[in-house]
Amino acid sequence: MNKQRDQVTNLQLAFIILSTMFGVSILSFIRFVVKYAGLGAPLASLVGILLGFIGLLGLVFIGKRFPKKTIIGYNEIILGKGIGKVFSLLIILIFAVLMGLETRHYAEAIQGSILPNTPIQVAIIVMISLCATTSFQNVSTFAYIHFFYIPLILIPVVVIFFPVFKDVEIYHLTPFLGHEPSFKDFMLGAMTTMQAVGNFTVIAMVIPFMKDPKKSMKGAVWGYWITGAIVVFIVTITVAVFGEEEILQMFWPILILGRMIQIPAEIFSRIDAVLLISWIYGVFTTLLSYYFIVVRGICELFRFHHYRVISICGAPVVFLVAMAPNDIYTMYDYILVVVRYGLLPLLGYPFLLLILAAIRHKKGEAV
Amino acid sequence: MLFRLFGKKKKEKPKPYSQQMEQMKNQKLEKRIQKNSSNLKEIFQNDSDFSFREFQLFGNTSAVAFFISSLVDKEKINRDIIKPLQKEEKSKKESSKSPSTSSILNEVLYYCDGEMGSDMKAVIDALLHGKTVIFIDCEKEALFLDTFKPEKRGISQPETERVVRGPRDGFIEQMQTNISLLRYRLPVPEFRVDPMEVGKKTKTKVSVCYLDNIASQELIDEVKKRIQDIEIDRILDAGYIEQFIQDNPRSPFPQVQNTERPDKAVGNVLEGRVAILVDGSPFALIVPAIFNQFYQTSEDYIERYMITSIIRVVRFMALIFSLTFSSLYITVLSFHPEMIPAQFVVAASSGRSGVPFPVVIEVLLMEVAMEILREATVRMPQQVGGALSIVGVLVIGEAAVSAGFVSPITVVIIALSTIGSFATPSYNAAIAFRLLKYPLIILSGFIGLLGLATGLMFIINHMISLRSFGVPYFTPVSPWNKQGFKDALIRAPLRWLTERPAELHPKDSVRVESGVKEGPTNPLADEKRGDSNE
Repeated sequence: MNKQRDQVTNLQLAFIILSTMFGVSILSFIRFVVKYAGLGAPLASLVGILLGFIGLLGLVFIGKRFPKKTIIGYNEIILGKGIGKVFSLLIILIFAVLMGLETRHYAEAIQGSILPNTPIQVAIIVMISLCATTSFQNVSTFAYIHFFYIPLILIPVVVIFFPVFKDVEIYHLTPFLGHEPSFKDFMLGAMTTMQAVGNFTVIAMVIPFMKDPKKSMKGAVWGYWITGAIVVFIVTITVAVFGEEEILQMFWPILILGRMIQIPAEIFSRIDAVLLISWIYGVFTTLLSYYFIVVRGICELFRFHHYRVISICGAPVVFLVAMAPNDIYTMYDYILVVVRYGLLPLLGYPFLLLILAAIRHKKGEAV
Repeated sequence: MLFRLFGKKKKEKPKPYSQQMEQMKNQKLEKRIQKNSSNLKEIFQNDSDFSFREFQLFGNTSAVAFFISSLVDKEKINRDIIKPLQKEEKSKKESSKSPSTSSILNEVLYYCDGEMGSDMKAVIDALLHGKTVIFIDCEKEALFLDTFKPEKRGISQPETERVVRGPRDGFIEQMQTNISLLRYRLPVPEFRVDPMEVGKKTKTKVSVCYLDNIASQELIDEVKKRIQDIEIDRILDAGYIEQFIQDNPRSPFPQVQNTERPDKAVGNVLEGRVAILVDGSPFALIVPAIFNQFYQTSEDYIERYMITSIIRVVRFMALIFSLTFSSLYITVLSFHPEMIPAQFVVAASSGRSGVPFPVVIEVLLMEVAMEILREATVRMPQQVGGALSIVGVLVIGEAAVSAGFVSPITVVIIALSTIGSFATPSYNAAIAFRLLKYPLIILSGFIGLLGLATGLMFIINHMISLRSFGVPYFTPVSPWNKQGFKDALIRAPLRWLTERPAELHPKDSVRVESGVKEGPTNPLADEKRGDSNE
């Protein structure tokens, strides 16, 4: 019926941020935070979340300045056609590569935990085809999908983390800055958290489709802080249960946490499979966001509005990227490189755009 | 392309007979009654139910009445048409002027359904719709009198939507009766019944029913547009229309609801939906339809809310069971036995000890057997049904297990998933889920839990992206709508349901201002509140 009514609401924006941030790395990033920051991990993750928040603010500010344009659109306005296109292409590239690597990351986790005998390609193909069959839908469907999966992602997490409280040892958490803290290590830990959750750039593609882009701040902030709180909570609980030494020996601390839980009624003997399913949902929503940026971005960049074609043609490319690393160690190296030199600068990038826009007096048309 | 070529060829060389017919159909009526009559007789040739009766109008003018005897009420023709027309009226005789067609219609006949027409096409059309056509000598216009008397069955309880408590009347094939069932429940002038006609050959009457002051204008226009756009030669049931107007023809999920119950149709019309009645079909179509409606029944609003809510949850669970239970069983048994307690695994595995197949094959075999059984039960005449169920129960339930063909636990699981699909009130939604069960079984047979999870995601993503007349299929869950959720998986007390579903964008979104005017008072208590007489 009326297209105007099918717009993304603030609540949906918050949920998009939430489910995008809740992704592949949730299972493993704790190990890296602990590796750098030691027992300071909870505090470091809080600082990381704060740093990420600044990036989010930048995105929302620039989105409000150009309420009808996506990041691809205002890139061209602010930087000029040529340079804008190059930067847009870079952003798309970052997300395409990141999606491939994260898919691989996910497949490694699946293989390591539930499907040891199945070739890793199966999990990758299944996930990429899921994204490819969904990403060409319109923006409101994208928002509905994120919205729908949130309860499926969060409820198991909550259910699983409550029984764990009895295993919490406070002495695992002190000293809360870690043994022999150094500023550099602490900040590295914070950066790791920031990398794990810094993938909310997708809102730059969603804000122009909102009911009221000018009011997007509320939804974005809420979504971000709810996720931030959950992330800090997870880190704290995991560290409190296992302590520094044990975590460093695990690849997926949260899964092991799930394995420890006993359900009183003897229906399920082990609950980690349920946790894993909800994590699969989380991974899907995250990867869908990445792929959404890629598909929408390419279509807007080249003025080629056949989303279906792009999303099916893009799938093999992402698959090839996913198959590029030889093993899980090179995969982590690759991810680290892409995140450090791709995703992190992207968090500062909106501010650069804002400054340039102010200097060049560029402004988007009013809604 | 090939067909189109053939079609063209045929058009170029039309048969002389049909050409002649076409010519005759397009003619205007002539003054000479013999000419008109012979033309008409030539068109209908010697059809056994094509009848006519010649008589003298008021004893002085020759006239002839044509009708299709299988469609008309002959008694009505005798009593209300031939009798008054043959009666000699003195006043008329005095004037000795032959009466005109319009004066007969206006002065002589007591008939509420009378029209006049002047070309052959209208005459044929009228005859075929059960009207009696009267030609009068020296008149260029013919008289059409509605004497249609269709064969119809009585109003009986709907077969597909039985209720324990609630009205027992159901739609029948005749559209006029169905409309009267709706009007009877909805005596307001805003209730519109817009007539349309679909089908090049069957010329089936279709009515679009809605409340003018509630249903959204965009929705009404869209429904009418979609019905008008239908290009087909036949409409033999409402199902034909459904397949043309649904949003996504490639989806297994029903996007249009059908019902045999007038109370359900009225309830939906009052929510701001549009009901489509099709002549010749005892089913009304209701659009737009969202997923929630397919596990709800009209009885849900009749019984008290707490019971209804629980029953709805049970039905929803049954639906989920029918979709996932067998594949979950495969997953757990062949990939993740660590998920369930050890005793269960031992019990299940020992039951399977003699079974020669892997679990997937076993489950697939049983599911297919169940599907065949179900289809056989539906198509069987009732007399043989008993034999069938004995064969089904004995062979599948007992013999297969004792032969070591399947394990007893598998039988239990399959039975649960099958019964789950029978617990769904709407047949078409249940079928969709039963169909999707098979890909899930195969997926989980290959990659276990991952297959089950991703298979479910494929289904959910598809359902979320579905729209029915622009309304997202998963409202009110996603997009979220608090008001709508009061009447979704659970049903809130009626007094809380004061708003119409927002996703339909009704013109008037408020049903009532508040559920009850004043709380109940206790007439036996001492408090003054109850006594209004003092």
